[in-house]
Amino acid sequence: MSPVLTIAGVTIREAVRRKLLLAFLAITAAMVALSAWGFDRLARTRSITGDEVHLALPQSFILFMFMFSFVLALSASTIGSPAVSWEIESGVLLTLVTRPVRRAQILLGKWLGLAVLLALYDAAVCALEVAVVKAVSGFLPPDPLLVAVYLFAEGCLLLTVALLLSTRMSVIAAGVVAVALFGASWLAGVVGALGQSFNIGALRAVGQVGRYVLPSDGLWHGAIYYLEPQTFIGQHFLEVHAGDPFFAQSAPSWAYLVWVGIWFLAVLGAGVASFERREL
Amino acid sequence: MSPARSAEPAQHGLGTPPGVPEPRPTPPAPAPSPAVYTAGLSKHFGSTVALRSLSITVERGEVFGFLGPNGAGKTTAVKVLLGLVRPTGGEGLVLGAPLGDRLARRRIGYLPELFRFQGLLSAAEVVRLHSKLLGLPKASWPAESSRVLRTVGLDRRADDRVATFSKGMQQRLGIAVALLGDPLLVVLDEPTSALDPVGRRDVREIIRALRAGGTTVFLNTHLLDEAEHICDRVAVIDRGSTVATGTLPELLGHHWSVRLKVTGLPDRWWAGADLPGSWSREEDWVRVRAIDPTLVPDVVARLVGRGGRVEAVVPENESLEARFLELLEGR
Repeated sequence: MSPVLTIAGVTIREAVRRKLLLAFLAITAAMVALSAWGFDRLARTRSITGDEVHLALPQSFILFMFMFSFVLALSASTIGSPAVSWEIESGVLLTLVTRPVRRAQILLGKWLGLAVLLALYDAAVCALEVAVVKAVSGFLPPDPLLVAVYLFAEGCLLLTVALLLSTRMSVIAAGVVAVALFGASWLAGVVGALGQSFNIGALRAVGQVGRYVLPSDGLWHGAIYYLEPQTFIGQHFLEVHAGDPFFAQSAPSWAYLVWVGIWFLAVLGAGVASFERREL
Repeated sequence: MSPARSAEPAQHGLGTPPGVPEPRPTPPAPAPSPAVYTAGLSKHFGSTVALRSLSITVERGEVFGFLGPNGAGKTTAVKVLLGLVRPTGGEGLVLGAPLGDRLARRRIGYLPELFRFQGLLSAAEVVRLHSKLLGLPKASWPAESSRVLRTVGLDRRADDRVATFSKGMQQRLGIAVALLGDPLLVVLDEPTSALDPVGRRDVREIIRALRAGGTTVFLNTHLLDEAEHICDRVAVIDRGSTVATGTLPELLGHHWSVRLKVTGLPDRWWAGADLPGSWSREEDWVRVRAIDPTLVPDVVARLVGRGGRVEAVVPENESLEARFLELLEGR
């Protein structure tokens, strides 16, 4: 078996025994139950018209998924930041890097194991949430699979950043910086949305640049786009929601996705290079 | 580095039949390189000099003690040898390969000084993980796991999680993992620091067994009695440099002491006594240090000739500890 798969397997086994998956499942169950109750109430309400309910359901769903994307990003940062730094501090890595394996294989194995955990968490939440909301309210996002893919990509991105930081920083520092970067990226998106809303070029530019510097907000907007029903894309809606940070006017372009791919590979490569050069 | 040993050329007693091309002589088998060779190895961390100039040669199959006080640079030296940190200067080879060579690590077992295994894995799982990373054939894993765990006395705890182990048991597991895959070189960094006397004795037995099997053992320790009991040769380092290297007799050879119980000589005689070596007196006992053992009868004769009664002569081989302190204090 390749050392990458061996390390990935140990990473997953350790996470399972740390009851990480169990914690994920418990949180997921709580989140889905809460949202089921909320969407049920929203679908049955008599205080607003049926058209308004049809408008409110997708928007509420987007808000819910935003909360989930935040939890996923936080989880990615939390599990990524100790992956190398804690093992250096504790001495676990000393026993691994002196084996006839490349450090790159160890890092990629850890990344792979943690990414599998994130994928399972993401898939479980998205599948359950979509199924429950459809059952209680009848609302089904246009492309739930792509929503899950974009959210997973966002989580993976944060995981990769946390892993890079983990090769040089302490556990706490790496975790805090990764979460702060995620927050800064989201904030840049909000600033850009305000710039769009008030037609201020400089603020718009902040949003645009932010999406390239750390593409997590750009990926989140990809998820938003595939959560929006077609009725959202009408001209009237575009005018009203032009500056709404929870609204995506279009799907991310192929050029942007290629950039995200390059960005992701560059950060992963930087993590490998940093770990290769790290003195232990 | 030691000179290469030449192998005997192949003998062809019956000669070669006519018309048959002369077979090429079998090339001599290359002599194995030393297990460890370093020349002027240094490591600086910023302005801190951890290793100033380390020059040692560890031959294959010997138990080599690497001694020095705390902070002498022992662990840094081990980490440089294993490629965990890059040297600032000098050169080195381990098993004939450059420092940190990935393939050479296949034949090196290493017990770090400060380490931990994954606490949520069982001892057997840890051993299996390292068997995989070593690239051992899958079919050999169960037997290899049993062998190394039995060697360190953990076979009955194979299925217990490492987190439930005491520090000493974790150290035993570390030694077990270092023994995996029939290594040519085993580097043990303070292997008995967490062990009780029984554990220390066991480790000594393991090291002796390794030597008997032809494995080189690089023993990094500050426990001098440990080195004295099991090492073929030692190097003493201090402040990042080699202070002395050699076999124990080489290091201690000219440093014998002898204790004599002498009565019948007045204090005024002792005030001007001329004895070989350096000597000191405490009541009736006189300790003569740094004396050539062949001169002891002369000392006794001189004391008796002056009217003294020599009631006891106790030769003492100076301990490694005393010699160690002498070496360090002499710097």
